[in-house]
Amino acid sequence: MAIIKTERTAAIAPPLSETTALGWMRKHLFSSVFNSLLTIVTLFIIYITVKELWVWGIADAVWVADNRRGCFDINVDGACWAGVIAWLDSIFYGRYPREELWRINLGLFLLVIWMVPLWLPRVKAKISIGLTTVFLYPFLAGYLFSGGDKSISMQIMVTAAIVCLAANTVHSIIGVLTGRSLPEFLIRLFGKKNAPEKSQRYLLLGILAVSLVAVYMFQMGWNVENVSWTRWGGLFLTLVISGIGIASALPGGILLALGRRSKMPVVRVISTSFIELFRSVPLITVLFMATTMFPLFLPEGFILNKLVQVIIAVCLFNACYLAEIVRGGLQTIPRGQFEAGHTIGLGYWQTISLIILPQALKHMIPNIVGNFIGLLKDTTLVSIIGLFDVLGMLRSISKDLPWLGLHKEPLVFGAMMFFLICFAMSKYSRHLEVKLSTGHKH
Amino acid sequence: MAFSEKTKKSMNTKPKEPFDFFHDERVRSIFYQLLFAAAVGWFAWYLISNTAQNLEARGMNTGFGFLNVSAGFDSYFKLIPNEPGVGTYGRIFIIGALNTLYVSALAVIASTLLGFFIGVLRLSNNWLVSKVALAYVEIFRNTPLLIQVIFWYIGVFSLLPRVKNSIDLSAGAEIFLLNNRGLYTPWPVPGDLLWMTGLAFIVAIIAVIIFKRWARNRQDRTGQTFPTFILSAALLVLLPGTVYLITGMPLGWDIPKLEGFNFAGGASLPPSFIALLVALSIYHAAHMAETVRAGVLSVSRGQYDAARALGLRGKKVMSLVIIPQAMPAIVPPMISNWMSAVKNSSLAIAIGYPDLVSLFMQTSLNQAGYAVELVGMTMAFYMFISLTISWLLNIYNKRVQLVER
Repeated sequence: MAIIKTERTAAIAPPLSETTALGWMRKHLFSSVFNSLLTIVTLFIIYITVKELWVWGIADAVWVADNRRGCFDINVDGACWAGVIAWLDSIFYGRYPREELWRINLGLFLLVIWMVPLWLPRVKAKISIGLTTVFLYPFLAGYLFSGGDKSISMQIMVTAAIVCLAANTVHSIIGVLTGRSLPEFLIRLFGKKNAPEKSQRYLLLGILAVSLVAVYMFQMGWNVENVSWTRWGGLFLTLVISGIGIASALPGGILLALGRRSKMPVVRVISTSFIELFRSVPLITVLFMATTMFPLFLPEGFILNKLVQVIIAVCLFNACYLAEIVRGGLQTIPRGQFEAGHTIGLGYWQTISLIILPQALKHMIPNIVGNFIGLLKDTTLVSIIGLFDVLGMLRSISKDLPWLGLHKEPLVFGAMMFFLICFAMSKYSRHLEVKLSTGHKH
Repeated sequence: MAFSEKTKKSMNTKPKEPFDFFHDERVRSIFYQLLFAAAVGWFAWYLISNTAQNLEARGMNTGFGFLNVSAGFDSYFKLIPNEPGVGTYGRIFIIGALNTLYVSALAVIASTLLGFFIGVLRLSNNWLVSKVALAYVEIFRNTPLLIQVIFWYIGVFSLLPRVKNSIDLSAGAEIFLLNNRGLYTPWPVPGDLLWMTGLAFIVAIIAVIIFKRWARNRQDRTGQTFPTFILSAALLVLLPGTVYLITGMPLGWDIPKLEGFNFAGGASLPPSFIALLVALSIYHAAHMAETVRAGVLSVSRGQYDAARALGLRGKKVMSLVIIPQAMPAIVPPMISNWMSAVKNSSLAIAIGYPDLVSLFMQTSLNQAGYAVELVGMTMAFYMFISLTISWLLNIYNKRVQLVER
């Protein structure tokens, strides 16, 4: 007799811990006596902390007052956010002339416009977009922020940046709509699709030249008022310093890392000692070195302002940290890639720039974002040597007569601001890490 | 197949390329290196000659002679005695270096202990506890350390009550007192025969080492384990303890007492020291917790399952299987975290704790000039510390690598 069931056995219900909230709590919070005790103690601690913070920061807080006395008159125990609100403009823009603030906002807006295509899936040539952001945007933004008379080289760079921004934007719009690149689109537009490659190239160069000349003519008449660097400050200054720090440290870091991996002993030793020197000392000593020793290093009569000194110091310092990240990225590329590059007849620099770096860069992006977070946090150190970055502004609130002695609230506000920026970026870099690593699991 | 004599010879020798001076790889490499060295050398020479000119033009003194000149100021917190106006700049350097080492050593210890604790909480299977630990890590890692240092100093330790209303941390015993001048603790006063207790302690350590070796040999021979931990702990406590009691407890405590407007006796730590220590410990503990978590998670789950399958219990799985394999992943980032704690102690300058940077690089620089020498000495100090630590790390890495396949 064969024992074969003719009807299906009903599926067993999933365990309670997977379906109901109560079951989940039992598994994750109250699995044993010790765990239950732990949960209760932790809940109590959370309750106390949140309650205290709520009462101090929101329930008892004063939002509108003319000065610190006014805050005290309303509530002595709560936070006095009125002081932070009164200084909000200064925290973001420093002492930048209030009627010129649009320039900072415009600069930020242009950066967003420039970089958005990097996240649009159908846009081509993302590496070029990234490179132009690093190499051309700083000139446009630099002129926008500082203003004044333009030297010839500055005029050329500003022209190039404007043309590039326009080309970038048009390229991205075309890319999103049709999936083609800008050159392809232009060639089709002028009906030269089947023309020989040479005439296509001449056409593109011609368009480029015409637009360069046109923009050059335009920018000659475009002048904005000079704003001295001493009036730069707040979060704006922090972003300028760390932005330039990361943008110029990238090429420097790549060169240093290549030097450290070089087969030539002289190059290797010099690069390694340079990297190790800057990595083994605190940033504040490098900043002090910049402000006390750079004036001595330069020929007499040649004076750098403090902001430039600080930026150079931050760039040198950060280049050495990035060099180690680049070195880590280069190590992930197997030797076979170098050898394959050599085999097809590429020289050293061609192998590096066409084969190795594009692959290594992908592995480095999360670490570069992490480095940028670190740099952003470290930039607060410039307040120690007397620049009014965001921390400098936050600390000067307590020295402002109406808000004399208001220390805690600005610091808490600054910490929250940094937390939001850095936390979002670190989450994003972790997301990138997961997204980029999927293709490389062996 | 038959080869002629000539073909055979040419198969076994390398093809002889004609030596081309301009296209030879070695010649080119030497040429580039010479060029690079010359460029770097020229740049260095340019900076040095400019510096020399500038120093001369400004009439600034150079040389290390100033280290023997007495400094006109003193540090309010110091580990070695110093008299203002008498102590030299050399002595100021030592005071600053010791202050840096003191606060960073304590911060390293505290952050490691706290970091391991938070890391264990982070790995807890209790959802709430693990999320609280996560919140701790994210909050303190994503805010600038400088803001934290200033906050602890201005927002917490400067707002403490005055000396008269000191907070008693020892619950009524008045031994540990906290007020706006700092933390007051008892300070040990060694008696005459204390060296005998120390000697007993050293003897106990040696005995424990010998005993552990014997226990391991025994286990290798017979397969039986011996309760080494309890025995060696007992040895380490009981032997020095007995000697201490027999010699008549030769250790007194100098307890801080309120005299007039301030405390006398005991040891005191200024608020800036405590603020810096707390900020560094909390900040680096957050990094340490992540290191511990990543290290433990780097051991694959199969190792855990295999250990359970062999019949090991929970504690033994951790101590014999998981932790020994996690350590090589934990130690290198942990040590670089220590290194950054030493470097970050230089943020003391923002709250006026007299560490090396604030005492030597700021105050001395303002008082005496000698920019090149002062900046150079400070940087050399940090480099010395970092290179020593990374040298030790390399030794550790080599030892760990030998174990690996």
